[in-house]
Amino acid sequence: MNRLLSINKCYLNTFRNNISRSSPVILLSKHVLPNVCVLRGTHEQKKIGSTLNYMIALGVMTVGLSYAAVPLYRIFCQAYSYGGTTGQAEADVSVSKMKAVKDRPLKIRFNADVASSMQWNFKPQQTDITVVPGETALAFYTARNPTDKSVIGISTYNVIPFEAGQYFNKIQCFCFEEQMLNPHEQVDMPVFFYIDPEFQEDPKMEYVDEIVLSYTFFEAKEGLKLPVPTYAR
Amino acid sequence: MSTAMTFGQKQFIPTPPEKGSFPLDHDGICKKSMVKYMNCIFSNNSNNSMCRNEAKDYLACRMEHNLMAKEDWTKLGFKEGEL
Repeated sequence: MNRLLSINKCYLNTFRNNISRSSPVILLSKHVLPNVCVLRGTHEQKKIGSTLNYMIALGVMTVGLSYAAVPLYRIFCQAYSYGGTTGQAEADVSVSKMKAVKDRPLKIRFNADVASSMQWNFKPQQTDITVVPGETALAFYTARNPTDKSVIGISTYNVIPFEAGQYFNKIQCFCFEEQMLNPHEQVDMPVFFYIDPEFQEDPKMEYVDEIVLSYTFFEAKEGLKLPVPTYAR
Repeated sequence: MSTAMTFGQKQFIPTPPEKGSFPLDHDGICKKSMVKYMNCIFSNNSNNSMCRNEAKDYLACRMEHNLMAKEDWTKLGFKEGEL
């Protein structure tokens, strides 16, 4: 942007210099008719004016494009599931119609994390589970509140590798809503999910045999909002 | 996670679950079903396909005690024929 402005200024200066330098030359040559000088001046001025207009238009277009790029990129990402963006939530119909792809077993590893200021003990009940795409699976996490006061937690999750995230559909889990644990209480938290059968068709997923599902719990304080983008709902 | 330095790297964007969040089972009502399911998983070498019955039992327990919205089994991926 700055570069463009400086180029514009450069052009302006060049043209201004040309006019100021050439005009004494034109004026000095007395055998040239004065009308010609005036016409030549206006023609040059017109050229300068139109070039200036083009430059300004280019600058405005660049600024406009950079503002428009944000929603455009978002739409592009959603349409093509680029960079781990998961698609829109699927209807129940697709769940009831999907067929298990028996010849492609996948190992789902479970990971549990807690924010450093959070005092819960949070761990998965199983280190891994073998599923096949198209089959719903149930997994458990356990959370324990060892403190003497109620703690409210809220969690988010992550799927690695990123490209597999678009095929990982959760039917029900315990994330994104505040969960309260009473003092010295232990609770089992299930996750009910499935891997989309289209996983089998994706050439990028050919060598992917393991997927890691990682949950992280944070303490929910007043006014805390997890950054779930609104367009992803 | 999404700082300025991660520009250009692929970002993971989490999505909310389809049917929302499970209410917490504070009283441990369905703990027995859960333990059965975990035992099945351990004995079958963590293979989910063998433990679909136990998973169904656990979800049935949840539905019975109002810890989960009642749904058709087909909508949860449990087909009529095989179970």
